[in-house]
Amino acid sequence: MQVYLPIAEMSVDALLLMGLGFGVGWLSGLFGVGGGFLLTPLLILIGIPSPVAVASGANQTLGASVSGLIAQWRRGNVDAKMGTVLLAGGVVGSFAGVQLFALLRRVGQVDLAVSLFYVVVLGTVGALMVLESVRAILRRRTAVRRKLHEHTWAHGLPMKMRFRKSRLYISVIPPFLVGFGIGVLSAVMGVGGGFMLVPAMIYLLGMPTSVVIGTSLFQVVFVAANVTLLQAWQLGTVDILLTLLLLAGGVAGAQFGAAMGTRLRGEETRALLGLLVLSVALSLLWGLLKPPGNLYSAGPAF
Amino acid sequence: MRRWLLAALLLLLPLTARAQEEEPLVAALSRNEIEVTTGFTGASLVVFGSTAAPIGPGGDEVLVVARGPTRAVVVRRKVPVAGVVWVNGPSARFAQVPGYYVIAGTRPAWQILPEEQRLAHALGLDSLPLTSTGARSPGFRAALLDLEKQSGLWLEHTEPVEIAGSRLFHVRLPLPAAVPTGDYRVEVYLVRSRRIVARQELAFRVDRMGAADRIATVAQAQPLLYGLACIAFAAFAGWLGSVLFRRG
Repeated sequence: MQVYLPIAEMSVDALLLMGLGFGVGWLSGLFGVGGGFLLTPLLILIGIPSPVAVASGANQTLGASVSGLIAQWRRGNVDAKMGTVLLAGGVVGSFAGVQLFALLRRVGQVDLAVSLFYVVVLGTVGALMVLESVRAILRRRTAVRRKLHEHTWAHGLPMKMRFRKSRLYISVIPPFLVGFGIGVLSAVMGVGGGFMLVPAMIYLLGMPTSVVIGTSLFQVVFVAANVTLLQAWQLGTVDILLTLLLLAGGVAGAQFGAAMGTRLRGEETRALLGLLVLSVALSLLWGLLKPPGNLYSAGPAF
Repeated sequence: MRRWLLAALLLLLPLTARAQEEEPLVAALSRNEIEVTTGFTGASLVVFGSTAAPIGPGGDEVLVVARGPTRAVVVRRKVPVAGVVWVNGPSARFAQVPGYYVIAGTRPAWQILPEEQRLAHALGLDSLPLTSTGARSPGFRAALLDLEKQSGLWLEHTEPVEIAGSRLFHVRLPLPAAVPTGDYRVEVYLVRSRRIVARQELAFRVDRMGAADRIATVAQAQPLLYGLACIAFAAFAGWLGSVLFRRG
């Protein structure tokens, strides 16, 4: 069933979009991430112009994360105070990111920048996840106990604040910077940033795993909303029809994925997600390195 | 379509008899409005008409040109950086590029008209007045022609103008799904011994209709409101999903 997308100005098979949404939703339910990092490259692959894919991807991430946030909030797994600090950084970051995106679009390097960001960020995160989870799987037998709390240079920074839910007393600067970085990346890549935020909160901020997913969803919902608003307002590239078709498949897929996820062990899930992230990074890297079929490309002038 | 067309041509016949004294060329379009709805997958339109003198081999020739709304286009060339990563490099900006250009004739334009005539009326892809700023290489112009031809929005003599009974002609103009919205101009030329002897101008519009139109209009006129609506819709869909599937 063909559907004409009013903002992308092209005709796409609606069932294909819903299927894509379902598949990505299934994976995101399984791994507990928004799935934007898979969706945006896939949309670009089926011919959606990159600006529309990035903006609508952020909008879809927003919808997909809302249902997860509701569930986590009910269980009391959201550190709203930490979330707010991350969010403050995220809002500033996504504002800077949209400006950067608009600049890249004028210069004509959007495709390159989006691909490069993906290759670098996904490659790093994927490799780290695979390494960490393999180590965890190996450690399962030897079972070395880690120190509960480690003091690093980050604890010497000023403007300390007490985060009760996370059981942390740290400066607000590191979470603000983490939020800012994720905000920039989510604006340029069209992702919520959950797959980067979760490891950053565990390893950089030292938050307990129980509140990480809920707090990350809290931040992702608001950053994705901000990116959607800015992209719609400044660039006019959010295609609501595209978003809703993806969400229709996505919310259903997420439930099946979540049900299946409970049957897998944590380390194995992380290793699989790491491999998935790495393979997306490698396929995009190949796209950058292989000689293009046509040297020329045309686009609208701004 | 074919039967309908024949009926239209028959209706035109008495008109042509009268036209013999006054009008050397009469042409019309099968539709004046193309509606782009959310279910739009492309459409087509027929240009048909008749001439006073016989057309076809040995007689006069007919040329049909359709042009869509113009916009500025930037053509970029990829260059390898450090020999590995392919990056968009030099670019040329073309102002006033038609978003749709189709030319069809009983014979190709370059066979029936001299070059200065083709250039003066922009008949044929080679005769389009595409001026660019930026990179100077002629490769950019050729690349633009190639890319537009690939998109199916620029066609040059892919289908000839068909002749029926030596005085009636018709040709189908395909409008693919990616056709830009706006005002279109169709020109029909009558060519006799390498000179244009008659010319008629017709027009049609491509408009978004229904939901597609409302979405695009709001997104353009009220971007802030549209952004807020997108957020609300997505959040609502997410909430609805969590409610629908929680107990399922």
